[in-house]
Amino acid sequence: MIIAERKPMEEIKQLIAPYRKVLVAGCETCVAVCWVGGEKEVGILASQLRLARGAEGSEISVLEATVERQCEREMVAEIKDKVAEAEAVISLACGSGVQTMAEMFEDKPVFPGVNTTFIGMPEKEGLWVEMCGACGDCFLDRTGGVCPIVRCAKGLLNGPCGGTRKGGKCEIDPDKDCAWVLIYRRLEKQGRLDLMRKYYAPKNYRAVKRPGKVQAAKA
Amino acid sequence: METKIGVFLCNCGAAIKNIDFDAVAEEVVKSPGIACVNLSSDLCLEEGRKKMLSRIKEGNIERVVVAGCSPEFSEHIFREVLEESGVNGNLLSMANIREQCSWAHEGDVTEKAVELVKMAVNRVRLLQPVEKKELAVNKEVLVVGGGFSAISAALQLSRIGLRTTLLEEEAVLGDRPGKLESFYGVDPGAAIGAVEGDRNIEILTSAEMTALEGKIGDFKVGIRREGQEVLRKYGAIVLATEYETELALDSGMKSGPNIVSQEQLSNMLSDPRLKTKPKSVGFVFDFCDENSRFSTLATLHNALEAKKNWDSEIYVFYKSLKVDSRGVETLYKEARDCGVVFLKSEVAPRISVENGQVKIEARDIFLGEDITLTCDLLVAEELRRPVEGSERLSSLLSVRRDSRGFFQDENVHLYPVGSERKGIFFIGGCRGDLDLGRVLADISSVVVNVHELLSSGKALVDVERVRADPQKCVACLTCIRVCPHGAIQLVRSDDSKEVAGISDLACYACGICAAICPAKAIRFKGYGDDETLAQIEAVKESLDGRNMAFCCEHSAYPAADLAGRLRLHYRNNLRIIRVPCAGQVDVFHILKAFENGAASVLVMGCEEGACHHITGNARAKERVRYSKMLLKEVSVDDGRVRMFNLSPNAPHKFVKAVNEIAKITKESGR
Repeated sequence: MIIAERKPMEEIKQLIAPYRKVLVAGCETCVAVCWVGGEKEVGILASQLRLARGAEGSEISVLEATVERQCEREMVAEIKDKVAEAEAVISLACGSGVQTMAEMFEDKPVFPGVNTTFIGMPEKEGLWVEMCGACGDCFLDRTGGVCPIVRCAKGLLNGPCGGTRKGGKCEIDPDKDCAWVLIYRRLEKQGRLDLMRKYYAPKNYRAVKRPGKVQAAKA
Repeated sequence: METKIGVFLCNCGAAIKNIDFDAVAEEVVKSPGIACVNLSSDLCLEEGRKKMLSRIKEGNIERVVVAGCSPEFSEHIFREVLEESGVNGNLLSMANIREQCSWAHEGDVTEKAVELVKMAVNRVRLLQPVEKKELAVNKEVLVVGGGFSAISAALQLSRIGLRTTLLEEEAVLGDRPGKLESFYGVDPGAAIGAVEGDRNIEILTSAEMTALEGKIGDFKVGIRREGQEVLRKYGAIVLATEYETELALDSGMKSGPNIVSQEQLSNMLSDPRLKTKPKSVGFVFDFCDENSRFSTLATLHNALEAKKNWDSEIYVFYKSLKVDSRGVETLYKEARDCGVVFLKSEVAPRISVENGQVKIEARDIFLGEDITLTCDLLVAEELRRPVEGSERLSSLLSVRRDSRGFFQDENVHLYPVGSERKGIFFIGGCRGDLDLGRVLADISSVVVNVHELLSSGKALVDVERVRADPQKCVACLTCIRVCPHGAIQLVRSDDSKEVAGISDLACYACGICAAICPAKAIRFKGYGDDETLAQIEAVKESLDGRNMAFCCEHSAYPAADLAGRLRLHYRNNLRIIRVPCAGQVDVFHILKAFENGAASVLVMGCEEGACHHITGNARAKERVRYSKMLLKEVSVDDGRVRMFNLSPNAPHKFVKAVNEIAKITKESGR
């Protein structure tokens, strides 16, 4: 799932400073699940913006809408009337949603209301951790299903480094697990520790062509 | 066609004097959809109810607003009238113009009364009927444990006709030898014989629980026995596992031939081959754990036995002696009469071993002197701790434990035997140190509870009072993680999408899930966003300068009522919105109140650690903190939103909180 964080209010306020009618557009997919872009957050941000302008003594009209998936043109099209009504849009979707919206309404400024941070999972209620760097060349078969590229602070393919702390923690951040300790323990459980002895050549990140494109094998 | 709303105003036998009811009626009738406004002085009495019933029937009234006393007092009465006249009982909204208006303020409060009635009218328009339905429940009960409490509970449950399974990890049933017989004259052998002979009780020994799914009336329990896993179904689960003990000794000291536990002493006393009888015996208890009724009993009992059998000198060191269990006072007197010496000390005695004897040093607070005694034998204080595996079992059952790790959270609302999950109970030693009298009370209590839930084989529930809309649910699992009652599970919706499914049986209708749902998919009939916002909307024009309070119906709301009854007056610019739990108050509701011009917003819930819904008040506190942050971001004074914790019998605290916020908002010119 794509994880995002709300942008600082000050930044959002500045983005919409010239406008008197804005639309806050949420998305009911990833960003709803990670509590930054669903209908609830749309309501909260809209309410905050009205209060902010109220405090400044200037007027604003804030429209609210949520789209099932903001990265789908057909779904974004459902709110086109509201977009037409507004002078600018704040999108609470991931970067992909913001761009879909911006592309569909080219005459309208579409601003991101969140910072898209990573692909991750919930560790517990309200806390999400990064799991995947979307590198385009998955390495997980060799590491017992633990990704060292994002979960090791140094992104080492041949770990661990010399700095693993007691208790299997990372030398950079003692609150985080050393990914290579996790990998070792996992492979140990599977009787595949021989993989630890293997040397992996540096990953060719140039294989990841930008912008990426994935064509489904079957139509 | 517009829905027909009937408004009933009651002056409570002229107990409400400072409201001009005609003026209220005149103002309220202007609202759209009002079919009639009726004045009464005895609405809750038989005459009044009859009149109300006929008005509803004659006027084909579809929704009802009653303005008068507190709903805490009379809501159920008026719901019945509605049901009798063929209107769903949930289509009632009450305006509390007595306790929270007339009696709470001095002088004429007609204006406030009008606003309160308008709030109720706005709310009633949005209410939806809640139907009732009978659901079948499984009548079998699982009792976990094999000790005295488990066996006795199983026997009593069987006696009221419920088929019961006893699940015990050990190979045989029964307590550790000697524990109960000697102190209480209870013969566990007889009880074990009785369960073994009871065809309504199935005994599974050397067995353990490995999985739990489902909810009250329909628990699916995975059981591992002799290497095999089986899935069994039960309507309720009673946990009756025991506790363990360890000696509370300073570091460096350990048990040995002259430092023993109560159990070891019992064994010594009954050992005919004991070579030398100790000439002096010291007992120490109640220093580490003040919940020491069982140790008091054990100490008195064993001290007397040692006196009788060995004729030893006996010294008992204690902090406070608890003699409120049955028979203990008599034992204490008997012990004193026999010459047992009791020495009260504030701090635990210092223990050391010298030349094969135990030296006990303490300060006797009655003599005001330091005392040093040497004894042949010391019976050390015992600490009770939860049995091994309690942690695993608590996560399996999704129930919280107390600060010492015993079952049952310290929340007072769960006592005596309840848990935060309907249909899961704790009795006896697994919830702490209990003496026999309390264990027996636990057993009776659990039998009554289980009987009420399961005996008829069905349960009457509100249908979908709280429901996650499968179209809007994004299956983020948040509600499942936060529901304090374990009432939500992931289910397949009609179109086979995975969504949150709220069990009507297990749900307590607290609204914590509705307030946290990021997709606003959870609809709580009666306390939805719409109903809340409609109430705020009703006072919008006059909201400037008003303080809004979201009051939990278990604490702050009745506290406000009590303040009215005691005529503790406060400023009449407070508007209260009644909520089922402070945890139902959403950040969004708070912001909306400010957006509509509120001077301040109070969120008032139960005292910390005493929330009816376990985590509701803690969540409310967290949301208030978050709201402060959001308000600060947009340059709104964050002191204008506050959380207060209070109990229902704390009217003075309520008034103090209200006055405090009133002062702040007044000073800031609002």
